[in-house]
Amino acid sequence: MTAIDQIKQDIASNDVVLYMKGTKEMPQCGFSSRVAGVLNFMGVSYKDVNVLADADIRQGIKDFSDWPTIPQLYVKGEFVGGCDIVTEMTLSGELDQLFDAKGVAYNKDAADQIRAANA
Amino acid sequence: MPVVDEIRARLAQFQPDRLEVIDESARHAGHAGARPEGESHFRVRIAAAAFAPMSRLARHRAIHAALGPELLARIHALALEIED
Repeated sequence: MTAIDQIKQDIASNDVVLYMKGTKEMPQCGFSSRVAGVLNFMGVSYKDVNVLADADIRQGIKDFSDWPTIPQLYVKGEFVGGCDIVTEMTLSGELDQLFDAKGVAYNKDAADQIRAANA
Repeated sequence: MPVVDEIRARLAQFQPDRLEVIDESARHAGHAGARPEGESHFRVRIAAAAFAPMSRLARHRAIHAALGPELLARIHALALEIED
């Protein structure tokens, strides 16, 4: 299977996918760590794909999304953005709205706690 | 030309009301992706009316396109704060 086929399969068969450096338990980059940390804290069930473990996926996801950086978040097959966008959407409540609209389960109280801590 | 100045020059096309380009490389020294000579981690704060009709993704993509793949490849990390 090509890297692009693998990516298509992963984002089709998982509601939330995070392409990141490292794993959700052990991120290897501050930006990946921040996004994984938000998802972990909000109790979102997601698949983490460690791009450091596969050079073809690492380049493939950049080409597929037309986006030059990692991390990259996909929800229901749709590209949401990288660290800056996910952070902004978390703080504005747009991420909650996206999860609500897409039927992705998360802990609303935890999301509110993140916003309270960054107000 | 320092990378900061290259970034500033390429973002001038948006006719920004406000543009800050900050080299944060020193904060990431020793971290994977940091380069001994610095110039690896940057933060851009930009405000331009051109971004008003754009979605978040479109704003970021417009900046990526303005910087170009060659410059992006030389930068390890780029944080963007974009306002209209």
